[in-house]
Amino acid sequence: MHFLLLNLIAISWLMLQWSIPQASAQDGYKSVTGPCNLSFPRDHGSHPGFRTEWWYYTGNLENKEGNRFGFQLTFFRSQISPMGAEKIWPSPASAWRTQQVYLGHAAITDVDGKQHLRAEEAARGALGIAGANQKKGGTDIILKTWSARIEQDNHRIKAQTDNFSFDLSLIPLKPLVMHGDNGYSRKGTTPEKASCYYSYTRLKTMGRLTIGGKSYTVEGLSWMDHEFSTAPLESGLSGWDWFSLQLSDHTEIMIFLLRDAKGGLGPASSGTYIDDMGNSIHISKKDFHIKVLDVWKSPVSHAVYPSRWRIRIFPMNLDVTVNPNLDNQEMQTTETTGVTYWEGSVSIAGSKNKKSVTGIGYVELTGYAKTFDAPM
Amino acid sequence: MGSVVFFFRFLGWFSLRNLKRQPGRAVTVLVGIALGAAVFTSVRLAVHASLNSFTKSMDLIAGRAHHVLIRPGGYVPEILIQKIIAHPSIQSASPFLSTYVRPAVTHGDSFLLIGIDPILDRTFRMWQTEKVRSKNDAPWLDLVKFPFTLVMGEPLARKIGIRTGDTIALEHSRQTKSFTVVGMLSASGLALIEGGRVAITDIATFQEFTKLYGSVDRVDIRLKPFSGSEDLNSFRKTLPQGTQLVQPSITRNSGRKLIRAYQLNLSILSFASLFVGMFLVYSLVSLNAASRRKELAILRSIGGSSQMLFLVFLAEGALFGIAGWLTAIPLSSILVKYLLQAVSQTISTLFVRVHVEALSLDIWEIFLSFGVTFITAVMAALQPAREAMSVAPNEALEVSQHGLKRSHKTKHPAAMGLLCFVVSLIFSQMPNVLSIPLPGYAAMFFLFVGFSLQAPWILEKMGHTLSPILRRLAGIPAYLASHYVRSSGTRTAVSVGALLTAVSLFASLVIMTHSFRQTVELWVHQSIGGDLFLTTKMGSINHFRYPLPPTVINEIRRLKTEWDIDIVPSRRFSLMHDRFPYEIDLIDLKVFFQHGDFFWLRGDPKKARNMAIDGQGAIVSEVFSNRTNLSVGSTLETWVEGFLVKLPIIAVVRDYRTDGGVVFYSWRHFNERYYNPQWSGVRFFFKDKGIAPDSAVKKLREEIITRCGENLDMISGKELRRSILEVFDETFAITSVLLLIALIIAALGIATTLTVMVLERTQQLNTLIAVGADRGQVRSMIFWEAIFLVVAGEFTGLLCGFMLSYILVYVINLQSFGWTFIYSVDWGALSLSFPLIILTALAAALPAVRAVFRQSPAMLLRER
Repeated sequence: MHFLLLNLIAISWLMLQWSIPQASAQDGYKSVTGPCNLSFPRDHGSHPGFRTEWWYYTGNLENKEGNRFGFQLTFFRSQISPMGAEKIWPSPASAWRTQQVYLGHAAITDVDGKQHLRAEEAARGALGIAGANQKKGGTDIILKTWSARIEQDNHRIKAQTDNFSFDLSLIPLKPLVMHGDNGYSRKGTTPEKASCYYSYTRLKTMGRLTIGGKSYTVEGLSWMDHEFSTAPLESGLSGWDWFSLQLSDHTEIMIFLLRDAKGGLGPASSGTYIDDMGNSIHISKKDFHIKVLDVWKSPVSHAVYPSRWRIRIFPMNLDVTVNPNLDNQEMQTTETTGVTYWEGSVSIAGSKNKKSVTGIGYVELTGYAKTFDAPM
Repeated sequence: MGSVVFFFRFLGWFSLRNLKRQPGRAVTVLVGIALGAAVFTSVRLAVHASLNSFTKSMDLIAGRAHHVLIRPGGYVPEILIQKIIAHPSIQSASPFLSTYVRPAVTHGDSFLLIGIDPILDRTFRMWQTEKVRSKNDAPWLDLVKFPFTLVMGEPLARKIGIRTGDTIALEHSRQTKSFTVVGMLSASGLALIEGGRVAITDIATFQEFTKLYGSVDRVDIRLKPFSGSEDLNSFRKTLPQGTQLVQPSITRNSGRKLIRAYQLNLSILSFASLFVGMFLVYSLVSLNAASRRKELAILRSIGGSSQMLFLVFLAEGALFGIAGWLTAIPLSSILVKYLLQAVSQTISTLFVRVHVEALSLDIWEIFLSFGVTFITAVMAALQPAREAMSVAPNEALEVSQHGLKRSHKTKHPAAMGLLCFVVSLIFSQMPNVLSIPLPGYAAMFFLFVGFSLQAPWILEKMGHTLSPILRRLAGIPAYLASHYVRSSGTRTAVSVGALLTAVSLFASLVIMTHSFRQTVELWVHQSIGGDLFLTTKMGSINHFRYPLPPTVINEIRRLKTEWDIDIVPSRRFSLMHDRFPYEIDLIDLKVFFQHGDFFWLRGDPKKARNMAIDGQGAIVSEVFSNRTNLSVGSTLETWVEGFLVKLPIIAVVRDYRTDGGVVFYSWRHFNERYYNPQWSGVRFFFKDKGIAPDSAVKKLREEIITRCGENLDMISGKELRRSILEVFDETFAITSVLLLIALIIAALGIATTLTVMVLERTQQLNTLIAVGADRGQVRSMIFWEAIFLVVAGEFTGLLCGFMLSYILVYVINLQSFGWTFIYSVDWGALSLSFPLIILTALAAALPAVRAVFRQSPAMLLRER
């Protein structure tokens, strides 16, 4: 569901303001209007021509001593000019000339240390500083010292920042899941308001993470999304809430809520349920109900975010409470995007089919904070 | 508290009332000290503004980088950037390129074009565009998206007359291209470089415009927090040979050093005006102390302490200092406007490019100017104040004609003066301190003091020797004048000191400037030989960093003209040797020596010529040798474009082309030993010296344009040599103004002294009338006294000036800039100017002559 976040980030970063003219939004860019015909490993790679794309990893980890950590690593690709713009480039063109810009957000939630560390990066897709390449059967996404390598049976993600770093190996425990109609995920009322969207919903994770010079050997579960599109946001949206939940019964749930200015939900709000065999079931808006149980006010942005939820999914007979593992998991990305949002590790407890169930997950909340103006 | 109040009230009663009674004298002294303070203040402020502008520009360009990766003499391959960023010790890295360009249509002033990656550069440098017109405008993104776009500083846009959305054709060494202006920089960060005469473009556009594909000027680097020297060393090991990791401040510091040296020189020169003004204060306070001796004795006898009297006279000097400084403020504001432009122009021409838009008032400079003026005035009052405190109470009962007691001890100051000469000599032999020629300035100071201390003795000897001769030749008035001057004491000598200071400065600077100009002229005609010089467009301002395109080189090689010509290609590289900037100039020495020569200083010219032609060694400039301590026999080792170049030094020559040094080496042998350095410039010599050079140069120039296009800068040898000398003359224009002011102050000093001398002897002079002298005789006597003072001041000043000029040429210039010149006296200028100075000084005596008989003799004699 980071589609929306990506749109927001890409658009805000590129335009410095929060909207672009919808009439020209898809001019010169490829548009997702029907089946995505995704094929792998090809489609792990980048999709130039579409305005926006991202590779997104989140997870919850633990070391032998029982210290709990959450992590986020997201690579965004944004095409800054439409296809054919290269025709006006000088010949020969500089190696710096590119249509692709990459952005990245990384964060660590040190649950027991009660700290949330974040970092951000940006670079143009040139000279190997940033980019997405496919070779030797794998896909490499690189942004300076951050990277993700996607192979058939393994993902390797690395991030180095001033305050923390991690180097994690992720093994898919389930096949990838195509959201929507075989990957064609509708986001609005018209066909082009859509994305191509798939996920790895359960990735066994192990590796090392370092916080402030202290190193931890960790393992746990991660979630990976890959999505690309050109369609901008539907008008009238004020933000969205996104949930990725990994339950103790080896099932997963993804839900996104599109909020309008009055607090109501947009018709495209929906989700996906993945059973323990890896089969996905679409969850429509009428199939679930989410109630906010608590709020948290950011001391920095002063935004008031929902903080605890009761989630009921009727077809699955699921009734769980979702609690943030740390209140303050707010992302302030003043150096790259200027977007402020909440992206954090959560714990789940409740029942499913009247049986007790627990879980872990990640939640993303946008549109609660006043956006930063991020001029260069 | 009460005693302080009483002191100031007493100062008002005793000193200020007295000064009010003689407003002319007080105003003259005030004007003198104000002029001195104004000169000092405005010079300091003007140079400080340039220094400030340069430092700010350099700091803004350096940004927040910890280190800078360069490749001496060349460009850093951009492929390294990815490796640098990936290194675990590196937090961020950003490429940086810059060049000077100019509007093609108007051929207006050049400005700095910066090429950066706006994304990578965010961590290093700040810049913003003015508020955009609509939400969809993002000028920085337009830079990345659209080729040949730029954002521009508002002052530059205003000057050129363009706005956002307009297009402008820009000229550069490599090509002329049209750019679209996508935004205006708001006045912060990079927009403040060179007073806003700056534009920023995307790195891709920069490379495409300058054809620097694959290269960047430098890569700025920030280390991760807590990275230590080990991390830095491990990073250094990953860098390819020929690259260097340097401090970002290296360029700034070397530039600042040069401006500071220039500032110090001008400060010393401008302080001379204050120094001359000091004599004025001394003269007046001394008169007050001496003429009111009886009053002082009465004060002492009724309980006034000697300390209080000392402080009162010291305060009198301080008052002149404060009032003079305050009066200097409006004067400074006028003077600084002229100096600001002149100084920044000189600094840009000689050292580093600066653009000063406005004066920056620095509190330290204000404080310094006040402090120096105040201390100078207080110091001037010190000796009279000491004399005042020595007055005994019993003098109140003494019957005295006129209260004045003059010191007749002339041998003691003369001996002190001789000691000062010795000290001056010692200082002149000492090396500079922290790259500042402090010993040289100290030598100058002691020379001034030494000569000033000789003044009473000189006057005494002069009066003694000349009085019998003058009695026979010019009659009684001249005899009486010489007699008076002989016994007039220290105060009269002080005026001579003021004049000699000004005159010696004048003479020494005339000699130094002449020597410098003569040497430069010789150098220009000997070493800057050639009938036509060709470089890439804007090659000089861009330090010849862009070699001529191969197509142009081929066309030049194939050039056929109606005259036989010799072509001398060259390539210059700007390098650093241990923080000292210098150039390597690769030149075809074989052909060069057929038409010209170097200005040899050290080494055997004949032998060195042959060795240089055979590529056996390099010839270095005097500045290079003095600054690097590399001389004949040493070997220069340096990286040039990734090649380790080793050049044995075979000779040292004079060269004044840059503030830095120059190393000359054979282009052909460099090519054979290392690599093809390409050409950045070409000199053309006509083999037949009998042809009409102007028309031949014109035709040659046209032929080159026809073959190679117009993207070249060409200047005839004649024009080049003339322009070098014009720049030289403009540079010394400031010096002349400062000298003139020092002379005006000295003239004021003469006027004050003579007036004082007349006024204090009014009774004596009127007595002369009463006993039969006519007024003409008395006026003649005063005039002769003036002649004595002026001639004594002028000739001792001249003597001092000659000695001072040696210090300037061989000590100060050597220590400040690393060069010396051939000592040469401009006898013509000196012999013409000295009668003028004498006449000016004598004119300054006229008020004194007129003042003699303002009151009737009867009235004056009755008053007594």
